[in-house]
Amino acid sequence: MFCFQCEQTARQDGQAGCASAKGVCGKDEVTADLQDLLIYQLKGLGELSQRLHQHGTPDQAADSFILYALFTTLTNVNFNRAVFTGLIAEAARLRDKLRATLEAAGEALQGLSAAAHFAPAAELTELLAQANIASVRAGLELVGEDVIGLRALILYGLKGVAAYAHHAEVLGEKREEIYAGIARALDFLAHDPADIPTLLEEALALGRLNLIVMEALDAANTGAFGMPTPTQVRTTPVAGKAILVSGHDLRDLHNILDATKGTGINVYTHGEMLPAHGYPRLHAYPHLAGNYGSAWQNQQQEFADFPGPIVMTSNCLIEPRAAYRNRIFTAGPVGWPGLRHIQHDDYAQVIQAAQAMPGFTQTAAEKTILVGFARETLLGAAETVIEAVKSGAIKHFFLIGGCDGAAPGRNYYTDFADHAPEDTVLLTLGCGKYRFNSHEFGNIGPLPRLLDVGQCNDSYSAIQIASALAGAFGCGVNDLPLTLVVSWFEQKAAAVLLTLLALGLRNVRLGPSLPAFLTPTLLNVLVETFGVQPITNAEADIAAALARAA
Amino acid sequence: MNLTLLTRDEVRLEIDATVGQSALEAAEAAGLYPAAMCRDGQCGQCAAHVVSGTYEMGPHSPAALPPEPGGVLLCQCLPTSDLTVALPYGDAQLPRHSVPVRQAVIETLRPAGAAAMSLVLRLQPDAALGQTADFLPGQYMELRPPGMAISRAYSLANLPNWEGTLEFLIRLVPDGAFSGWLAREAKPGDRLELRGPLGQFTLDEASPRARWLVGGGCGFAPLLSLLRQMAEFQDTTPVRLIYGVNLAEELLPNDIFTPLREALPQLHVTFAVWHGAPGANAVQGSTADILESQLASTGSAADIYVCGPPKMVETVLAAARQAGVPDAQLFCEKL
Repeated sequence: MFCFQCEQTARQDGQAGCASAKGVCGKDEVTADLQDLLIYQLKGLGELSQRLHQHGTPDQAADSFILYALFTTLTNVNFNRAVFTGLIAEAARLRDKLRATLEAAGEALQGLSAAAHFAPAAELTELLAQANIASVRAGLELVGEDVIGLRALILYGLKGVAAYAHHAEVLGEKREEIYAGIARALDFLAHDPADIPTLLEEALALGRLNLIVMEALDAANTGAFGMPTPTQVRTTPVAGKAILVSGHDLRDLHNILDATKGTGINVYTHGEMLPAHGYPRLHAYPHLAGNYGSAWQNQQQEFADFPGPIVMTSNCLIEPRAAYRNRIFTAGPVGWPGLRHIQHDDYAQVIQAAQAMPGFTQTAAEKTILVGFARETLLGAAETVIEAVKSGAIKHFFLIGGCDGAAPGRNYYTDFADHAPEDTVLLTLGCGKYRFNSHEFGNIGPLPRLLDVGQCNDSYSAIQIASALAGAFGCGVNDLPLTLVVSWFEQKAAAVLLTLLALGLRNVRLGPSLPAFLTPTLLNVLVETFGVQPITNAEADIAAALARAA
Repeated sequence: MNLTLLTRDEVRLEIDATVGQSALEAAEAAGLYPAAMCRDGQCGQCAAHVVSGTYEMGPHSPAALPPEPGGVLLCQCLPTSDLTVALPYGDAQLPRHSVPVRQAVIETLRPAGAAAMSLVLRLQPDAALGQTADFLPGQYMELRPPGMAISRAYSLANLPNWEGTLEFLIRLVPDGAFSGWLAREAKPGDRLELRGPLGQFTLDEASPRARWLVGGGCGFAPLLSLLRQMAEFQDTTPVRLIYGVNLAEELLPNDIFTPLREALPQLHVTFAVWHGAPGANAVQGSTADILESQLASTGSAADIYVCGPPKMVETVLAAARQAGVPDAQLFCEKL
């Protein structure tokens, strides 16, 4: 196995990447190799799909499969090798189907990549023997580290794009330009591109595609559940039976709320599900009782302590401990061997588990946090905000967004929020916010200093806010008193980063460590061309941001 | 002193140990609960391996001690310096809570073959676990009958569930304290005390290899649980079962196997009868004999899970090693 797709990747003796029997995330060698093979097949499948899109006869099943299959390979999503052998067989079947469709339409099939011709072995051991061709580092000796790094940047960004597109798709947002864009990017990768300027341009094109995808997801979420509004969320338990829902998928949460209506079971959000409380049509369920726990990396303790079943709807799953192994369920792209997987929206076992478990025996004293500051709320308050900036009451905006993780260096983000001067506003999104969202930041006039914009994908909302402010001030986004402080962990963040770069947003502070797949040359491009800056320490970075804006 | 527990997946857990405290006591004081049963150096459940540091071993049964250099029993291992001990299981399998003690009542009790009883218990609601029967397929529980000082460990044969049902296969031993009580006195409605789940005899689900399950007598119980787990998850991993008994009439009734064969079309089953006529569906021989001949024809590429009486387990393991199966592919539970 070789994997360096996430921030926690092993970094030993100057070598970056997980290359032992088990990665830092818990993904074992067999699963990692099967994921590589699946990605290889998806490049070939994307290539054929791209031709169908060009021909005007796209295949919806294949396009949906591509999103889902890419999603399963994100960090901390699916660890179940049985799922991957199934997906590999399905990818081959769809590939054959697409070939047949193209042939029937009289399309010539010349020039297809090796990936499009790949024949996966039926037996697992033989399949694993094929994995070398599919390694993310295949061809290194021919093209060098920089090309491998850029291909990886595009592939990982594409995984993030596909994950967001899948979230949108399950809520009914199915856009031709998204499927076509993803197929095009896979087609590009299938041919082992090696020209650095072309690779860079493709990375930015993917960033632009991701903006469309995030817009579609925003439309899907707000269309289904209403426009988020500022909402107080209870963070302490109430007595009663309980289900905990983690991950990002609002549709799953909605279905669980629906399935548990009238059962007396309370539903709690965990991790990135917190912003769900801001959506009116989810908040309307009286048994959406509150938020429990914190960010994903603390789940082994928090899930063990939770007195009911847990449903994991998307990334970020860690190896479940014995204490809760029987009561954690996976849904959608998520999987772990030996965990029960929810199929066809059937939550009967989850409800049965909740009723068998004791639930919370006591109601704790109420504590709350405030969520729901998506674009419409903030744009609705634009006049107040603009006045506050003009009067000098607000000197600067910091968007502290992205993932959380276990690395000690992530205290930077807590320090950053705590040390930001009182005349600055903190916008936040992603699960990194758990490091400071229970702290007291006070208000500037009527506006709370800490504004929770939502999940990581709500970067779209943040971009809309920034664009609107720039419009109101008659300046470019880079001229706003705004600094983006991004913590990345996995591939959704890679997609968002590409979008920020594609939009020309400069001076992004990126941490806690830089992606291992980016070589010094590539990092130099990010710094020189796009103004990306590695984090240093919070106080120095705050001072630098304020000095730049002054 | 510093005690480091190193899990099989290489997680290092650092804890403080004081002089005179066993490694097991130090771990438990730190909120970690390594597998352990007798706490007296006799059962071998807390076996582990010292990687570095010095220690003294308190009184223990030599048979319980792992034979390899550095083999220790955590309950009798007294660190005399900073000590690093490797555990034979992963971080996620190391409990962070003490082993639950629960109450249950007998729901049904009936013969299972000529030499065993099938015992079904219903758990009483528990403050932390409610009505759930929470265990991993392959694990066991200690059962203590009402008013009796003795407790006996038996493997679970069913799957974890939310009704509180626990199913055991219990071998009737002449003059056996527990099985004697079961055969003569126990009746539905009787209450038992249980401690568990315990044990690490669970499926290595990360392994890409085929699974061969070898059970002797009531050693079939945890294998039944593992097969039921595979059936529930529609696990397509190649799997075979070698189930051996002393006499043909001890074989469990066929209706236990029918749903397994239906859910696991790849399941290959051999019934082995050691003594006397094997009958129509079985072959003559010990489980070790059968394993040896099957390994000779297919090679040593499978994971082998063995459960049964200690001698049977040792014989089967020896046959597997003889055929070239590496220790990393051997999983065993002695009754």
